[in-house]
Amino acid sequence: MLATAIPQRTAGAAVRFQIVRKQFGDTVAVKDVTLEVAAGSVHALVGENGAGKSTLLGMLAGRIAVTSGKIEVFGRMLQTGDVRASRAAGVVAIYQELTIVPNLSACANVFLGQTRSRLGFLSERLMHRRFDELCSRLGVTIPAHAVAGVLSMADQQMVEIIRALQSQARILLLDEPTSALAPPEREALFKRICELRANGVTILLVSHNLDEVLAIADEISVCRDGRLVSTAPATAWTKASLVAAMLGHAISHNPRRRPRRDFDRILHAEAITVPGKIENISITMSRSEIVGLGGLVGSGRTTLLRALSGLEPEAAGRLFIDGEERELPASPSQALDLGIALIPEDRKQGLVLGMTAQENIVLADLGATASAGFISEQRLRNCAVNAIRGYEFDRRRLSGMAGSLSGGNQQKLLLARWRHRRPRILLADEPTRGIDIGAKEEILGNLRDLADDGLTILFVSSELEEVVAVSDRIQVLSAGRDAGCLNADASVSDILSAAFSLKPAVA
Amino acid sequence: METILKAPTKSASPSWKPTITMASVIWRGMIIWLLIALVILCRILYPGFLARDNIFNILTQNVQVGLIALGMTFVMIAGGFDLSVGAIYAAGATVYAMEAKVMALPLAALLALTVGLIAGTTNGLIVTRLRVNPFVATLGTTSIFGGAAYLFSHSAPVLVDRPDFTVLGAGRWFGVPISLALLVVAYAIGSLLLSKTVYGRSLYAVGGNPEAARLAGLRVGFLKTSTYALVGVLSALGGMIIASRLSIGQADIAGTMSLDAIAIVIIGGTSLFGGSGAVWRTAVGLLLLAVLTNIFDALALDSNFQSLIKGAIVIGAVALDAFSRRR
Repeated sequence: MLATAIPQRTAGAAVRFQIVRKQFGDTVAVKDVTLEVAAGSVHALVGENGAGKSTLLGMLAGRIAVTSGKIEVFGRMLQTGDVRASRAAGVVAIYQELTIVPNLSACANVFLGQTRSRLGFLSERLMHRRFDELCSRLGVTIPAHAVAGVLSMADQQMVEIIRALQSQARILLLDEPTSALAPPEREALFKRICELRANGVTILLVSHNLDEVLAIADEISVCRDGRLVSTAPATAWTKASLVAAMLGHAISHNPRRRPRRDFDRILHAEAITVPGKIENISITMSRSEIVGLGGLVGSGRTTLLRALSGLEPEAAGRLFIDGEERELPASPSQALDLGIALIPEDRKQGLVLGMTAQENIVLADLGATASAGFISEQRLRNCAVNAIRGYEFDRRRLSGMAGSLSGGNQQKLLLARWRHRRPRILLADEPTRGIDIGAKEEILGNLRDLADDGLTILFVSSELEEVVAVSDRIQVLSAGRDAGCLNADASVSDILSAAFSLKPAVA
Repeated sequence: METILKAPTKSASPSWKPTITMASVIWRGMIIWLLIALVILCRILYPGFLARDNIFNILTQNVQVGLIALGMTFVMIAGGFDLSVGAIYAAGATVYAMEAKVMALPLAALLALTVGLIAGTTNGLIVTRLRVNPFVATLGTTSIFGGAAYLFSHSAPVLVDRPDFTVLGAGRWFGVPISLALLVVAYAIGSLLLSKTVYGRSLYAVGGNPEAARLAGLRVGFLKTSTYALVGVLSALGGMIIASRLSIGQADIAGTMSLDAIAIVIIGGTSLFGGSGAVWRTAVGLLLLAVLTNIFDALALDSNFQSLIKGAIVIGAVALDAFSRRR
């Protein structure tokens, strides 16, 4: 059935950008890009944030109109800026933020807006049959009746991909499809992508994960500052050459780890349990130490961080700060009183996007900018400038809205916030997710600096290479339980084997 | 602080400068231009419009709703909503009148304000502690506070016959209506509080993203509750003023007070979704509605027709706001 929907693999271009330009006000987001995407291939776009990748995808998807130039889809001129025109041309985009209706079933989500009916009545049977057909085509098993909201992120994403297929997509745009997935799920997604390609679907992929891109793409294009720097077959690229092309120069990759000089035990948490999520996890951290939490998505890393920062009301266990037993915090403000601060998994949860960047930086310590309750804008500004010092951050943007900043810059605001307020223990949950390489290196380097300055850091990242690179010690969680502690010289595969060593304790 | 993993210097990041264009100035100030245009129109239609007494008259009529709208601005910026202000207003009026008959006026005033404070705090606690949606919570308390006001006054108008009782609502101080002076002072303090203090800035954060505010250590529940408490006190004060002006405390005076106050805040351009807005906006919204009412009255327009137009304006204001967000 799928084959009828999708034309045989055609030689030639599925998409052709011709001297496409996009200007937002004075800013040129995309500068005269000319690019051909071969039909039935997987084409990856890489580049730093703000390099213009997303704008290119957006124009193809119809969310953004071109300023000049034209886009052809299968030889036909695309009317840009019209989502429906793009869909009609067979282009479907799947973004990082999924568009699943959580309360509906997986099947209903697939047929959202294009329900099958017979004599005006919904035909559940028809839709189920088609759903199962598409699932088997992709080699996935998702129960048609399952409520979409309780499916894993990977399955929800698959539901979106199935929806795209059902609507006869010939070109699929994937924006950071693996950023929320655990390693095994990523593998599975790659297989699905290969299936899609075998079915003649053209895939245009944006990703920050270069290993992934190298493994899966046929061709890779590198963007920098709105320009297309170069396009070449994936086999012609290496990770180093990609990074060099993205940055415009090579990067020196030497995570320097200093031996810890300080062994004061700052925090000791014993038998932390959050019913149904984590069980009996203990952790000890010393001054100036970065402890990495290893484990897969869903292993309870985020829950542990939330429990320590007062966000899990059902958390139980014992907490010792400086050897003195304290109550587990019941709110973030209590956690802060104990000196514990959290950088949440989702940046947008930590920032007030409608406030200025500088206000966001001092938000945890507004009192310091005020006398007798009255805020001094000058002092506020100075605090923010000090806190952001050393970061690559355009100071003029401090007085702009936080919501107008890129992901990397938003993350810097959150780090700067705690750099200003100076807690004793910083819990950093995925501080590098979905941001570009330059910002990533900067943030990892800064975590190290903060630690050397006396801060204790508990660090979570799905990029296990990062955990290995930055941590002094790695504690591995698996299915909500403690799976052992590794030394700084542990490798990614050590983490993974520890993470897979335990059977699930909690369903 | 020296970075260990050397951050590469980015080549020519896209230039960024805050864009203050003529268009954005006109857009932001739209509501003011509208007000000015209306005032000019009034002046033409009705030459006596700008006379001092007429101005005082227009404004004094709107002191009560103005006070409530001021409090509502705080509530809405902090991401809340309060339908029960009309009921608190009525309760304030009846309590003030009832107690004025039996005790010293300042004591009666204190009691009425305390009732407002307790009612508002109750709203706040229901919303923040019991996590009831503010719309539903205050719909419920409207009924409770309103009912209590009727019970307390035995469903009858409370006539107060003592000369000092009318001072608050009808008295003048160097020729200026006392209630009007009160309104101006309240707006000045409110504006300072919201735009210049830690408290005000925290409210914007709470309304803009409660989760982020909580993570930054702000006491979100307390801050939100405080806004309900504030609007409660201001509503009771509004009730006291109307009771004083009429020499009657009555449980059925609220009418469309809640909706009018909310309408004023919205027309001014404070967001329904929290996190943005300003006291000056509410002041402009208040003046706009006051002037409009005056025009209608001068034209001897049917009051039902007035209500129709007011409704259209509220919807228009929100639609304009939504439109400007999309740009």
